[in-house]
Amino acid sequence: MRDSTMDNNDKSKKQAMKQLRAERKEMIKAASARMKIQKKKIEAIKEQLNNGERTIPEVAEATGLEPAEVLWFVAALKKYGEVVEGEKDGSFFRYQLAAGLSRAE
Amino acid sequence: MAENKMTFDALVVGGGIAGLQAALDLADQEFKVAIVERDASIGGKMIRLSKVFPTLDCASCITTPKMASAAHHENITIFTYCEMKRLQKLAGGFSASIQQKPRFVDELKCIGCRQCEYECPVYVADPEQGGFSARKAIFVPFSNAIPQVAVLDVENCMLCGKCEKVCPTKAVDYLQQPKDFSIEAKTVILATGIGITPLENKVQYGEGKIPNVITALQMERLLAPHGPYNRVLRPADGMEPDSIAYIQCAGSRDKSMGVPYCSRVCCMYAIKQAMLLSGALPLADVTIYYMDIRAFGKGYEQFYQNAKAMGIQFVKAKVARLTEGENGAVTVHYESQEADGGVTSAEHDLVVLSLGMVPDWNPAGYCEVSTASDGFIRSVKPKLAPTLTDTEGIFVAGAAAGPKDIVDSIAEAGAAAMSAAEYLTVLNSRRRAVA
Repeated sequence: MRDSTMDNNDKSKKQAMKQLRAERKEMIKAASARMKIQKKKIEAIKEQLNNGERTIPEVAEATGLEPAEVLWFVAALKKYGEVVEGEKDGSFFRYQLAAGLSRAE
Repeated sequence: MAENKMTFDALVVGGGIAGLQAALDLADQEFKVAIVERDASIGGKMIRLSKVFPTLDCASCITTPKMASAAHHENITIFTYCEMKRLQKLAGGFSASIQQKPRFVDELKCIGCRQCEYECPVYVADPEQGGFSARKAIFVPFSNAIPQVAVLDVENCMLCGKCEKVCPTKAVDYLQQPKDFSIEAKTVILATGIGITPLENKVQYGEGKIPNVITALQMERLLAPHGPYNRVLRPADGMEPDSIAYIQCAGSRDKSMGVPYCSRVCCMYAIKQAMLLSGALPLADVTIYYMDIRAFGKGYEQFYQNAKAMGIQFVKAKVARLTEGENGAVTVHYESQEADGGVTSAEHDLVVLSLGMVPDWNPAGYCEVSTASDGFIRSVKPKLAPTLTDTEGIFVAGAAAGPKDIVDSIAEAGAAAMSAAEYLTVLNSRRRAVA
């Protein structure tokens, strides 16, 4: 009895989710496209930061991204614990991957 | 929230510092209070600041206890992420039609662990950090938000299911719907606060297109302990600025912007930020271009004199325009009003605009309360009873009635609570007399 109730709940939820996906089709498509672009940019930035400490302009030059965008991603990655700030270099700070730091330790 | 109609003694619209203070003052007198807040967290503008003038108290340190007191008060019920659709006067009170927007997260199940946020693959510019960093498509608004409950932003959600899968309490609910309910109260306090004129509004100052021209609220985030970079850097390239300029009256006392009045607090917050910058960047030059310095409050003039003694440059001038300089610098073109006068220019690494304060909410179409020519809620007795509106039983508190600093907002919130308490007491005694 309980199993059949749970099955019915699962079925109705699946149905509702299917309907929700249909309703939000355009938003999901746009968000997915943005995420894919972001993913590529993050991978390029991480690749640079994996090679040791880098400043924002150095990463920007190596990746071809705008420095402002590099800083935005680095700030976000730092917030979520994937990047750490390193030494100061002139007027800029160096950053590196947190994973790289733990490997070095 | 199973019930569709709830009854309270007082309804406070807005959960910023003025609304919280008014609610606490009423609740401590045993009145039952509802706070309706549009944002996902209470705290208003004040919780988003770094430090406050002239004491340089940490804004979080003094706002969070107020937020927590309200959240834990047995006589206060807080409704966040809600919009007031209509406020109607009834016989002996008011009825507010409220719609709670869906968070797509069960408020009762969410424990604010942020595992969903870490798992979500979509990055979104975070307005809580002036857009300088990112949050995810599902996120807890900020570190000391109350309630500590996640919100899902459907416009950036791919419905990938990762947040639902990782949530330890099964709180994510993609199918959540808006909830409509009504609040009945005998009295109402409007504490809807202020907005800031948009950076894009001023053609002469680059319409937001010149890199390294930011708003004072964005600078608050750069200076805050939990800011986007955890230090002050230029948003265009991550450089630590050597020279920072403040442009005063960038959105106030300016008829071309539709804000002819003085916003009252910009001089003081610019001086405060300049002081904080002197601490964060001891070698940096900080210049404040001003028309007049209005240091009107208790301890404010001394604060201004202290800033001058610290070496902050005050240049009496009207800045005509800003242009993009070399290597991310910003050129400030101004007419000096000092000894020799004349039109001149200077280069700075970072420029901060002290923008104007405008009302954050227009009651037109929502309730029978009128506004003054500046758009702020009209006080019918501005001298003797500044919290009275033109509707009996509705009071106004804080910056909803006009630009105000925190001290005045809190004082006025107390006055609004006193007026509301007096109104409730008279109303209740009349009812008892009739009975």
